[in-house]
Amino acid sequence: MIMGAEFVLFVSAAVFSIGALGFVVRKNPLVMFMSVELMLNAVNFLLVGYSNFLNSLDGQIFALIIMTVAAAEVVVGLAIILTIFRTRHELDADHIDVLKG
Amino acid sequence: MEFLDQLLSFNLDRETVFGLFEQSIVFIIGMTAILASLGVVLCATPIYSALYLIGNMVCLAMLFLMFNAEFLAAVQVVVYAGAVMILFLFIIALLGAKKEGREFSFQNFMGLSFVGLLFCELLMAMMVGKTRPVEGKVTPEVIQQVGSAKAIGIELFSNHIVPFELASLLLLVAAVGIISLAKFTYKPMRKRTRT
Amino acid sequence: MYSLSWLILFLPMAGFLTLSWSGKRFPKLTGGWFASAMVGGAFLVTLLMLAQLYAESPADRLNHVQTLYPWVVSEGFSLNLSILIDPLSVFMLLVVTGVGFLIHVYSIGYMHHDKEFTRFFAYLNLFIFSMSLLVLAADFFFLIVGWALVGLASYLLIGFWTDRKTAVLAARKAFVMNVIGDVGMVIAAFMIFEHFGTLNYVEVFKAAPTAFFPNDDNVLLITLLLLVGAFAKSAQLPLHTWLPDAMEGPTPVSALIHAATMVTAGVYLVARCNALYMMAPFTMYLIASVGVITAIFAGSVGMVQYDIKRVIAYSTMSQIGFMFLAVGVGVFSIGMFHLMTHAFFKALLFLAAGSVIHGMSDEQDIRKMGGLRYAMPVTFITFLIGSLALAGFPLTAGFFSKEEIVMSAYSAQYGNIVFWGLAIIAVGMTGFYTFRLFFYTFMGQSRTPEAHPHESPSVMTVPLMVLAALSLVGGLLGPWVHDFLSPVFGGATLGHHDDTMMEIVAVAAALGGIITAVAIYMTGKDQLAFAKQMLAPIYEALYNKYYVDEIYDFLIVKPVKGIGKFLEERAEKQGIDFSVDQVGKQVREVSRGISIWQSGKVRIYALNMVAGMVTILLFVIFL
Repeated sequence: MIMGAEFVLFVSAAVFSIGALGFVVRKNPLVMFMSVELMLNAVNFLLVGYSNFLNSLDGQIFALIIMTVAAAEVVVGLAIILTIFRTRHELDADHIDVLKG
Repeated sequence: MEFLDQLLSFNLDRETVFGLFEQSIVFIIGMTAILASLGVVLCATPIYSALYLIGNMVCLAMLFLMFNAEFLAAVQVVVYAGAVMILFLFIIALLGAKKEGREFSFQNFMGLSFVGLLFCELLMAMMVGKTRPVEGKVTPEVIQQVGSAKAIGIELFSNHIVPFELASLLLLVAAVGIISLAKFTYKPMRKRTRT
Repeated sequence: MYSLSWLILFLPMAGFLTLSWSGKRFPKLTGGWFASAMVGGAFLVTLLMLAQLYAESPADRLNHVQTLYPWVVSEGFSLNLSILIDPLSVFMLLVVTGVGFLIHVYSIGYMHHDKEFTRFFAYLNLFIFSMSLLVLAADFFFLIVGWALVGLASYLLIGFWTDRKTAVLAARKAFVMNVIGDVGMVIAAFMIFEHFGTLNYVEVFKAAPTAFFPNDDNVLLITLLLLVGAFAKSAQLPLHTWLPDAMEGPTPVSALIHAATMVTAGVYLVARCNALYMMAPFTMYLIASVGVITAIFAGSVGMVQYDIKRVIAYSTMSQIGFMFLAVGVGVFSIGMFHLMTHAFFKALLFLAAGSVIHGMSDEQDIRKMGGLRYAMPVTFITFLIGSLALAGFPLTAGFFSKEEIVMSAYSAQYGNIVFWGLAIIAVGMTGFYTFRLFFYTFMGQSRTPEAHPHESPSVMTVPLMVLAALSLVGGLLGPWVHDFLSPVFGGATLGHHDDTMMEIVAVAAALGGIITAVAIYMTGKDQLAFAKQMLAPIYEALYNKYYVDEIYDFLIVKPVKGIGKFLEERAEKQGIDFSVDQVGKQVREVSRGISIWQSGKVRIYALNMVAGMVTILLFVIFL
């Protein structure tokens, strides 16, 4: 074992929290997307680390599937951002509130 | 503090030295990943954020290497740091990255405090204790024998074939969605539909 | 082979669906012939089933259950989509599809001028389907389904002319009365399920003799509740008021539904459940009593009505009373026999009356008729045959079945002299009102000279002739009917009654009724006026149908309307409406307050998600 499970947990918790912070604080949808990627990566790291500790490949498979989902999500999300930009000519998450009740 | 003890005891054989070296490398890479992710969030310009994100991903890929997941490390670099980030950069180039002004609103403060709380709680969750994990049979030695990619391939195509196929379906749906988004033109909508 | 019997259900259903979906695209008469062909096909299949039953020995003819697939299977309850072929159901189907086919053909002529020709035939096919389902059901569930569906078909057909207010009101009345019966039947089905754990006929009737003591409380309750349904459907006292009003529908409908088939479903039900009813002699007495009282009641009312169809309707009630008398005293096969002959001659009478109405351009008041024997010879002769059969003139179909009933009322298991005496009175009344109607309509001189009656087309008269032939010779089928049905009724043999005196009295009663009618209506107006004066109070009561409608109106409708009015003004406007309004108002206020949370801003939503995660982690850590 190279490093304890605490290290993996700490790093992934930190990256995850920073990602969450970025999503909440930033207003640029692109950066918000990057924050989402950060969170997903943090979880991936956790899965891979524990896959190693537990001598099982399931975690890695899961991480692989998550990567696929994340790729699909990024592509669709970016396309949507592009479309929004084409119609509104600005990018600010706070101004996109068509669904206001 | 094991680390310091060993360092001070001068009981340094080859294995220990390599172990210490490896451990410190892992530690440094992990810290770099955290710093890079902080950079993503704190940079005002999206292009820097994207670059920091690439850094973060490369760091994580290296960590994957350290944790015996060579195949995933490769995928991480190729798919994430390669394809996805290139896409991000393209979009940024297309939209023109505007610098975001800093503001210290109540909402941001609330976000910061909540996320801080979340982080503390995640750390506390570490202390709660162990769950009862199920140990598998695929030890690093086995992987070494077969090879990481082959092991994952065998696992993926034997036990996880359905999620794999569903993932392909998901990609197809995403492709169709993007085509429809790209193809149809939109009338500009009013800024607010509600008065 | 027996699986072919599904066709009996499918053919009319296919006719109904085709006509209701694409009926407008058919040429007008094609729709009618198509519907008739469907019913004719069902009749042929029924004949095939009859032949198949004959290929087996009498004991093997029972309980041929055809299961299409298990519909409901659950713990302790299973329900198959299945039908039951046995002599009783095939016999009943012969009547339903056979008479139904003739009436379909007749309707092509009768409804020729109607704008909604195909809709009428779609409803008729629906009715044949529902009735077949009722008859073929292999369990109480589908019995009730068919029971309700014939009620629906009856409702649709009574109210067929939707632009007539009286027709729509009559349809509603019939429906409500029938629903009263349906409720009784449903409760009975619940009780049967509680006691037997199944709704299947075969299992229930097999278990019935051992499950109860005779006159057990439970079996009495079950049979009485079933009887509520039977009485409502068959227009017996006190649920009879809908039947005369139902004559607002087209005449073929009256012939098919309200004379030949649907209203006799109650008799069929009692015959079908004979295993249950044999365990409840008290109920049997009740059936016989209600039957004979209805026979007298309806006969007496029928004696003074002037609407041609209403007279026949009351006579139908009266004849069904006879059938109930028969099954009530325990001779089920004779009840079914009378059901068959009654289907023949009553359908004949209705159709002939329809022919008269058709010829008189929709005139129904017999006071305005008369002298039609020259204008409508075929109708005249067939109506005469029908009247003779109804009155029980010797050697016609009605004679055999009615004599059997009258004699059984005394000699059968539950019979006694009182039933016999009342039946004799009812027989006399039958003869009287039948021939009163006949004389009013066909004999004497025309009372409305401006009318130009004409004979109906052959598509209407041919069914009349067929039915007339059946009314003449149908009586000879009596022994066959009894032999054929006896396995269903536990192999009961017909008790022989050699009391010549009583038979003579019965025949004399029938003839006496006829002769009285001749005496009053053929020999001049003096006797009529004299009789009316002598019996003025009775006449009034009879003419107003014993004021039953008025009594119902006073006892039930008025109080309910009063309560309804009170509730509408007080409870609804000030209670319910107010509270409903307030609920809406308050919800709107509250949601206006809440709606600021739906800001539409993604970041705030994300913040809420983070807060949620924080809360969940709190639970993870501290619990």
